[in-house]
Amino acid sequence: MKLLDVILRRTPDADAKRRTASTPDADAAPAKAKASPFPSVVGPADAVLYGTVIALIAFGVVMVFSASAVFASQRYDNGYFFLIRQGIFALVALPMIVAIARVDYHRYQRFTYPLLAVVVGLLAFTALGFGHSAGGAARWIAIGPVHIQPAEMAKVALIFWLAYSLSRKREKIRTFSVGFLPHMLGAGLLILLCLKQPDFGSSVMIGMLTFILLFTAGARLGYILGAGMLAAPVVYGLVMWVEYRRLRMTAFLDPFGTRQGAGYQVAESLLSFGSGGLWGVGIGDSRQKLFYLPEAHTDFISAIIGEELGFIGLVVLIIGFLIVFVRGMRTALKAADDYGTYLAVGITMFFGMQAFTNLAVAMGMLPTKGLVLPFISYGGSSLLVNSAALGVLLNVSRPRQAVGAAGVTRREGDGAKSPRVLEAVAQGGTA
Amino acid sequence: MKKRTTNRREEAPVVEKPVEDTSAKRARWMRIRIGVLATCVVIGAGMVTHRAWELTMVHGPALRAMAEQQQLRDIRLAPKRGTIYDRHGAELAVSVDVESVFANPRLMHARGVDFERTATQLATTLRVDRDVLLTRLRSTYRGRLRYFVWIKRQVSPVEADAVRALDIEGIQMSEEARRFYPNRELAAHMLGFANVDGVGIEGLELSMEDRLRGAVEPVAAVRDRQGRVVFSDQLLDERAAQGDDLYLTIDKTIQHVAERELALGVQTAEARAGSVVVLDPRNGEILAMASYPTFNPNEPGRYPLEARRNRAVTDRLEPGSTIKPFTVSAALAAGVIRPDQVFDVAGNDPNHIIGRLHIGDDVIRDTHPRAEPITASEVLIYSSNIGAALIGTELGRHRLYRSFRRFGFGEPTGIPLPGETGGALRHHTRWYDLDLATISFGQGMSVTTLQLATAMAAIANGGRLMEPHLIGRVVDGHGATVEESLPRVQRQVIPARTARLVADMLTAVTGDSGTGPQAAIDGYLVAGKTGTAQKADHRHGGYTEDLYVASFVGFVPAQDPRLVIAVVIDEPIVNHYGGPVAGPVFRRIGQATLRHLGVPAETGGEALAEIERRLARAERAERAGATAPAEPVAEMIVEREPGEGEVVVPDVSGRTIRAGLMELRRVGLAFHVEGTGLVFAQDPAPGSVVARGTTVRLMLERADMRGDDEPPASVPVPSRTLANVVRP
Repeated sequence: MKLLDVILRRTPDADAKRRTASTPDADAAPAKAKASPFPSVVGPADAVLYGTVIALIAFGVVMVFSASAVFASQRYDNGYFFLIRQGIFALVALPMIVAIARVDYHRYQRFTYPLLAVVVGLLAFTALGFGHSAGGAARWIAIGPVHIQPAEMAKVALIFWLAYSLSRKREKIRTFSVGFLPHMLGAGLLILLCLKQPDFGSSVMIGMLTFILLFTAGARLGYILGAGMLAAPVVYGLVMWVEYRRLRMTAFLDPFGTRQGAGYQVAESLLSFGSGGLWGVGIGDSRQKLFYLPEAHTDFISAIIGEELGFIGLVVLIIGFLIVFVRGMRTALKAADDYGTYLAVGITMFFGMQAFTNLAVAMGMLPTKGLVLPFISYGGSSLLVNSAALGVLLNVSRPRQAVGAAGVTRREGDGAKSPRVLEAVAQGGTA
Repeated sequence: MKKRTTNRREEAPVVEKPVEDTSAKRARWMRIRIGVLATCVVIGAGMVTHRAWELTMVHGPALRAMAEQQQLRDIRLAPKRGTIYDRHGAELAVSVDVESVFANPRLMHARGVDFERTATQLATTLRVDRDVLLTRLRSTYRGRLRYFVWIKRQVSPVEADAVRALDIEGIQMSEEARRFYPNRELAAHMLGFANVDGVGIEGLELSMEDRLRGAVEPVAAVRDRQGRVVFSDQLLDERAAQGDDLYLTIDKTIQHVAERELALGVQTAEARAGSVVVLDPRNGEILAMASYPTFNPNEPGRYPLEARRNRAVTDRLEPGSTIKPFTVSAALAAGVIRPDQVFDVAGNDPNHIIGRLHIGDDVIRDTHPRAEPITASEVLIYSSNIGAALIGTELGRHRLYRSFRRFGFGEPTGIPLPGETGGALRHHTRWYDLDLATISFGQGMSVTTLQLATAMAAIANGGRLMEPHLIGRVVDGHGATVEESLPRVQRQVIPARTARLVADMLTAVTGDSGTGPQAAIDGYLVAGKTGTAQKADHRHGGYTEDLYVASFVGFVPAQDPRLVIAVVIDEPIVNHYGGPVAGPVFRRIGQATLRHLGVPAETGGEALAEIERRLARAERAERAGATAPAEPVAEMIVEREPGEGEVVVPDVSGRTIRAGLMELRRVGLAFHVEGTGLVFAQDPAPGSVVARGTTVRLMLERADMRGDDEPPASVPVPSRTLANVVRP
């Protein structure tokens, strides 16, 4: 905790000073408000969230190594290939989290539309076929040795945009033309671009995030349900008319019946979980990673976790994600304003949906989507995007004192009972 | 952006919260909505957890069983094949790891590797046929390219490196154990050879297969998806599974000498073939066994079947005069003759030609006729056919037959070499009148070189017939002796006294007026007997005029025998007598072997003087060449037309089974077929006169012994009749 404080704040003294200065009856408050147009930060980021995610990342590096060592030594003559790369990603991700957690999230507001434009541009770039192809899908843009996936960035950009836009709409959110339609159109554009790649999983994720944020912001349920009912046949059509998606669906419905074909991966995944038992076969001792389970270190890493660490390991992992989720939702509830709340809900739901969807897919509860397990699976794009989102979430989680600066949307609600200010006062007092 | 609430907040800063209705309601609903979302996700997490429980705990055992079904595989290890050593531990046959090249055409196709170019490169590098390679690469299974085809098995390290240097995708190597015979031709016929899969095909490799191969019990091992074995605790104990090692009684040095001298003897006499057996009469251990022509077991496919035959045990030859010591031994042991008894060998020719004995319509001749009666000893020295016939007649067919059987003739010695024949010694009830006389001097029966040596060893060993053996010890992977063969007396064939007496008589053969002075060895007294037999003429019946078998079988030192050496030279041309043809081979092998074994030369006045005299004679004899005392040849004497109910056995060698069987059926003979391929040998021999309906055994060449990489056409089919060869 102390270490985290050190990381998060410049010096305790400075913080103490700031807190002192921020006390309700301080005369200096207007001056501070002028210096910063946003609600001033009065506390550290959520340490539980911080610690849990770092633990997940560390665990991920270990599991990536365990799951990939055999594959890597076969493919690259170097069993450490994926360990080294994931280790480097993690070493980049950690300072990035710390840095982003210190940037006030309100500063992103003005970058909302430029970011959205860039993402749409990149998506269009790949959708038009200029991207780097792999496995029949052009989802990547190669910049030297780094392959970035615009779809990953699109989800984050979408969250920023919806949070910003919805927080400005306020009461008009309940209207169709102002509150609902523009957001659906914007999201629809991103979905279409993703479908074009094709990246069905990202399309679904973007659609889900859009509905979730509209719902959070208070859009009419009727519109959301209506749009959902309109989308359902489209989704059905997209699934059943595209050969590989239909195969995935039949594979999902009967993995062992289609074990020699489309169901192979899911069937092998189920065998991995089953082999684990209560305590697992022991870390490093998976047999399914001996080329039986494809993508053991990426999308299906949870199967290897299940095999090596058993039910206990899975429960610990699920609890880890639940902690992240609950702390993220708590952040959303305690956010200083609507913008913060929407950001926190979007990011937290983004994590939660990725995590539990991935687990559900690996366990054969949902059809294969190509989603990674956030913070655990191998992959730089995913880890860095998720880490960046986490940094934002952590910043939102910092207790703030609302400042009545013009142009800033604030939400008070029952702010008087909110413990965050009292807490800040108490801390300020002791410092 | 400028909302109603904004103004209120400016008035009343942070802490004090005048609750604005709309705002509070909105915030509450938002909390509720966030709560709904959170609940959904938590329910999802709960479902995932439940599913995890189901998979790992409820269905766990079943899923694990399925997983193990694909992960575990009973593998049959190719354990290290046992090594074959000589008696002193010199390696004769070893297994070495060599690399084999194979291809994955499906992968090559997927990666766009050009088959034609690859085939050309590999054909050049590995010296294999390009078109064959191309056909293999393009061969399909169920309409798809194969995952695996051999390119070339067991390549040399140089070739392996060259292939690696080519670095063609989809061309890979695997290590295989290959049988390697470091001494090339040495002991090749005994060792035999193993095929490319390490399975014994001939010789000891075949007969001791079970011992050498080792345990092939299936072991459960974890394998990866490509089927490669990853690890197994049981695999680590390689020695437990490995084959047993054999320690032969063979002495590499003696074997080498025997092979060298046999080859020299055969080549000098311009003979067709030959064989030698050297054994220790005291315990029956075979010290050397050689056949000529020979082959290199490292590449057996390059030699004709004829060269791969272990003639010392598979070839039956009429022994001729070398059988006489056994006739004399039997008669002496039975007490029907006395050592000093004399025999009138003048014969009964009506025209008073000396040395012709008429029995019915047939005539027995001596080439060195003697008018005066001679002793039994002289019968051996001069090798009188008439004398032997008279002694045999004294003994009678029953006792002669029984005695020969007791010396081991007519049945295999039981040595663990495939294809051993027992020779042919018909039961005495099936002998014709003449047979008693001719069998007494070694015609009308057949023996192997090994039988000759074993029987002579009985005389050398005081009448005790020792079981010959080739395998001294069998040692398992941990070095423990699991089997050890000890000297075994089969029976006392003749009394020790008789044996001693006959041994003394036989020393005279290499003496002054004997038929085998060429066999005398510097410093040692040699006992032995020469033999020159006419070969049976399988095509026309009876015996040939110009084909002989020259032989010498004897032991040394005569007083305390350490070695028995039997030399048989088949169809010598330059000179066909046993003494000059087989004698020198005996002498040179004996000389080198005695020196190698450190057997002290015999000393002392009389013996030494005798030895020196003989050496001088031997040198003279060798210089004189053809003028040496010639051994009488048992000439063709049986010239009989088939009688009532009898037929002449036709020669079907070299024919197809079908043609052979039709021929046999035509003349009214039954048949028994062994093996596959063309007819290789037959029994009874072609030209034999047998009762109608007699079963003829047809031994066929074994087509299945061909190696992998030789096209069938490269295996030569024996073009000549090998009728005197019997392969069981």
